[in-house]
Amino acid sequence: MTLQQKTIQRYRQLYPNLPLREISARTGIQITRVFRLFNGKIMKVGELEAFEKAINAKIAENPSFEKLTSVVEQASTILTNEELAKVAEYIARKVSARTFGRFYIKPNYESAIIA
Amino acid sequence: MKGLSSLERIILEGIGKGVLVYEEIQKQTGLNENVCYNILQALIIRGLVKTDGIKYRISESLSPLIIEEINGKEAKEAEYLELMEAVVEQQEDRVFRLQKIAMDSRDEKIFVAMLSNLESFLADAHKKAHASVSVKDRKVVFWGMGNVDKIITQIVTGK
Repeated sequence: MTLQQKTIQRYRQLYPNLPLREISARTGIQITRVFRLFNGKIMKVGELEAFEKAINAKIAENPSFEKLTSVVEQASTILTNEELAKVAEYIARKVSARTFGRFYIKPNYESAIIA
Repeated sequence: MKGLSSLERIILEGIGKGVLVYEEIQKQTGLNENVCYNILQALIIRGLVKTDGIKYRISESLSPLIIEEINGKEAKEAEYLELMEAVVEQQEDRVFRLQKIAMDSRDEKIFVAMLSNLESFLADAHKKAHASVSVKDRKVVFWGMGNVDKIITQIVTGK
């Protein structure tokens, strides 16, 4: 998966089912350009940064995420490989359970809603 | 994620040895429509469940590698922890006790014998009600015992 695809997928995970008009308003990217980007048009650096900024803003809404990333950094230096694997498995299970509860298993940015 | 999630396991237990339509699986498991559908699709993609479009059944010839992946020690332990955590975190109708008990060797033997009786009782209860009680209405029961010193060592060293 390219960086562009990963970024768009991450964006759609954090902002699910957002109309194109809303995405355009949040990123400052023109609506038709957003449609083209979601359908494979190559992203400019400024556009990537706009999506990254929106992603980081969403993540910052959840203070526990900062705690998690900080603890994971500590864990990587203290825990054994097996213990890290167990922690990763635990998180993966939580994610899997939440994912099953969503309407789509995989985010589908090809079906962008045009408001 | 390794192994099965408890949700996937519930679906497989709901299907069991039968061949069920979607509505029957939903009724057995009590899962929300979205969740049930998503999990079934995931199990089909993994090759654990087969469907003719209407009925679902567990795949017959699973490779030893897949069986080890879903029923192996690590996979099962992860599921146990998932279920136990859910029991501990229940908000309503929670039935859970954990205590550090001082026990002499005689009382320990009596307690172990009681656990053995409990296990027989539960096995009989399950055998009796297995066909009539749906998966969603069954009870998750667990018990265990360990020495404080060994548990603390486990926590500190991971071994």
